[in-house]
Amino acid sequence: MTKESEYAIEVEKLTKSYGDLLAINDISFTVSKGEVFAFLGPNGAGKTTTVEIIETIRPPTSGKVTLLGMDVTKKKHDIVHRIGVLPQGFSSFDRITVRETLQYYARLFSVKTDIDGLIELVNLRDKTKEQYKNLSGGLKQRLGIAIALVNDPEVVFLDEPTTGLDPRARHEVWEVLLGLKKKGKTVFLTTHYMEEAELLADMVAIISKGKIISMGSPGELIESNANYLSLTLRTADDKVFEIVRQMGFGPVLDNHKNIRVRVEHAYDVQKILNAIKDAGALYLGLDVRKPNLEEVFLKLTGEALREDPLEMAVE
Amino acid sequence: MNLRIISANLVVKLMGFYREKTTMFFTFAFPIILILVFGTIFMSQDSMEYRLSVQDLDQTNSSAQSVKTLGLKGKFKITSVDPAVDATKYVRDNKVNLVLVIPKGYESSLMRRMMLKDNNASVTVTYIYDPSSSSVMTKMQILNAVLAGINQGISGVPPFIRSAERSILTRKYRFIEFFVPGIIAMSIMTLSLFGTVDSDTELRQKGVIRKLSTTPITHTDWILSNILYHFILAVISTILMLLVSYAVFDVSLHIDAWLPAFVLLDVFAFVGTGMILTRFVKEAQSAAAAANAISYPMMFLSGSFFPIELMPGFLQKIAKTLPLYYVNEGLRASMVFEDNMAALRSSAIIGVYAAAVFILGIMATRWEEGR
Repeated sequence: MTKESEYAIEVEKLTKSYGDLLAINDISFTVSKGEVFAFLGPNGAGKTTTVEIIETIRPPTSGKVTLLGMDVTKKKHDIVHRIGVLPQGFSSFDRITVRETLQYYARLFSVKTDIDGLIELVNLRDKTKEQYKNLSGGLKQRLGIAIALVNDPEVVFLDEPTTGLDPRARHEVWEVLLGLKKKGKTVFLTTHYMEEAELLADMVAIISKGKIISMGSPGELIESNANYLSLTLRTADDKVFEIVRQMGFGPVLDNHKNIRVRVEHAYDVQKILNAIKDAGALYLGLDVRKPNLEEVFLKLTGEALREDPLEMAVE
Repeated sequence: MNLRIISANLVVKLMGFYREKTTMFFTFAFPIILILVFGTIFMSQDSMEYRLSVQDLDQTNSSAQSVKTLGLKGKFKITSVDPAVDATKYVRDNKVNLVLVIPKGYESSLMRRMMLKDNNASVTVTYIYDPSSSSVMTKMQILNAVLAGINQGISGVPPFIRSAERSILTRKYRFIEFFVPGIIAMSIMTLSLFGTVDSDTELRQKGVIRKLSTTPITHTDWILSNILYHFILAVISTILMLLVSYAVFDVSLHIDAWLPAFVLLDVFAFVGTGMILTRFVKEAQSAAAAANAISYPMMFLSGSFFPIELMPGFLQKIAKTLPLYYVNEGLRASMVFEDNMAALRSSAIIGVYAAAVFILGIMATRWEEGR
């Protein structure tokens, strides 16, 4: 019982194999109560397999998984009442309306749910009489999130809730997820969108090829894995590139002919700008920023999610 | 088992079905169309009257009397052919399959036989026929039987062997009354099998089943609501089929507790079969093909459309291994023959099958990913 009070989820030496394929390789982590935990990784990294084992959908090959103090392989019936799940590629009954779908799931859990409150939370007020098949991708995901909350769960699992959505729909879903965070729900989020994890998560675990390669808060991960600044110089003067190169900083040109430089300290930026000024060269604009989770991910996994000349050069 | 969950699932399924107007139409209309089409065909067969063309070359009172007798005893509708035309050409040109030619001298030969007791006096009537016609042999057999009767009458000696007909049924039934129970059995099989395979495969492929596996609903709740849903559809479909059969064909069928019992057993048997099949069907697109592969042989071999006695021996043996055969037999035993013992035998066999596939179906249904 003490464990239940500390952690919502405990995963210990979890392994899952499909024949010769090792999908999950001896991973361990914990998720504290009230935390938004993001499981970050590219397609095929093992995110969904891990989350489906925790959700009791799949059995593990070995290891121990405890959810709210209960072994997921033995207490499925008790666990399902205390969790809410938005599975990957969520779908529902085509001809059933939004309100009827929520009523249906509430009856499955034998709970009296504030259906209107849920509809309000996911902003589906105008769509309550719409059949599922007529909803757009974003609306379907929002309904899926509402269904996941129908039993007022202690832990909510959201498996790639914004995959396949356009940017506007993605931001609408993020609004809903921020609402969950405010309500203090424990949220286990899998995603391959870095900005999603950075925006929503208290803790992030990066998984690659079935192994967790780093874990911590977004700030910690950036601090420990990408302790540098990115300087971008917009210039039409070819001399600038040569000046920076001679200073030993290793500049690269991006697709827009901007010079991009990675420096360790803020005063390095000042040194570069001074050198350009002293040489009588000109720059039209500059941008200095701290690295984000995407850059951390690229550094740790060596897998590019986006084409980026600076990152490719670093690797 | 949770009744609240079962009823929630049932309501969602019924609402989905009600809103799928096309599916609803074909589920209920298809068996009714079959009854109307085949019923009309069988009704016309029950009161069938053959057309017979007769060329009377004798043109006497005796030959005319014989032609009249043919019409009365053979249920033939007689068409006279002009004695002047070529009968063979007549058959070809007029697309008739048989012309009976009564030769010249018919009456004089008859007089010699009747008056002068000359047993050597005889006539030969000729059948000019088209062998490519499927019904001509039947027509010739009837004609032979009628002519044998006329010959018997002329001989003046009472027949030694007489025949008497005694039906095993308490009253005479028409073919439509044998057909309707077969269509009831077949349509329930179709809606249960296709409904289960199509729906479960689609829901699994779309991920709805995966979502449901994270809720308190159990396999048993899911399957029982599925059974209940198909039973309701089967009852509605059966009532509609019977109403149409009574209204259009004035059928005479005995309805008692065996009817809902066989409807339920039919549903159990084929929802169970569907659940097992769903285990092996990966995609919704192949679900209908898989269900067809099972239902079509069953439909034609198990005696839904025609008696299995018409089939070769080895096919009859195969038919008796099919579950639908016992639903057909059971329904006919109760609705047509009013034979409770036969209905009990069939219900026991289909009951054992239904229980076996139902249990196997529960075992085959997998929500959690096993791999």
